[in-house]
Amino acid sequence: MQIFTRTSDDIHIVSIAGSLDSTTSPEAQKSLTAMLAGAKKVALDFTELDYISSAGLRVLLGAAKQLRASGGKLGMFGLNQSVREVFEISGFATILSIYKSEAEALAAM
Amino acid sequence: MSVGAHPGGVGEVNAALAEFAETHALPEDVRRDLSVALDDLIANALSHGRTGPDPCSVTVEVKLDQERVTVIVTDDGPPFDPFARAAPDTSLSVEERPIGGLGIHLVGQLMDKVDYQRRDNHNVVVLVKELANG
Repeated sequence: MQIFTRTSDDIHIVSIAGSLDSTTSPEAQKSLTAMLAGAKKVALDFTELDYISSAGLRVLLGAAKQLRASGGKLGMFGLNQSVREVFEISGFATILSIYKSEAEALAAM
Repeated sequence: MSVGAHPGGVGEVNAALAEFAETHALPEDVRRDLSVALDDLIANALSHGRTGPDPCSVTVEVKLDQERVTVIVTDDGPPFDPFARAAPDTSLSVEERPIGGLGIHLVGQLMDKVDYQRRDNHNVVVLVKELANG
């Protein structure tokens, strides 16, 4: 699992590549918590995300709570079919904003 | 393959599954769903099993035919039926949602069939994923 960040205007774009599971989530959590400190708008780029398990969802839930607490926004785009399915089954699809593309995410946020 | 109750164990299983999927040209989405299910199931089994000098060990067996993939996960930990827990409330908002409790719900929904049996002092979980539904 690898995490990269870039910015577009005031939006932090965080790309997570590989898998977000019980093996990789402690490291992802550490990186995300540090990256989100002070950030207001964060778009997660899942174009290179292979799959996400509940351990990964917990990391995202933590990130969403952290951003909500500081009045920020969290969006995501580039979900493959399996990742989208996991979001829908878990109910996360209705509580976190999912966009079809990076352009749509940046325009909406 | 067999893994011990150590932090890298789940990663080893998923690496082996990826190799199996490539060798047998398993559809990407089937492989991803199985990865999610195995990650949640094994992390769960290891967290309920023994640790210390004699940690519980988990064995994963994968069978493939033209119609389905069958994964059998066996561990020698204390009796534990992962599917006996009630499904979490997935309609709660981000703020109300307790962290955790989702893994087994995902396993049950992503797989076409799940089964648990206590057999010869082992927990035996069977996961079935139909290829046609890929």
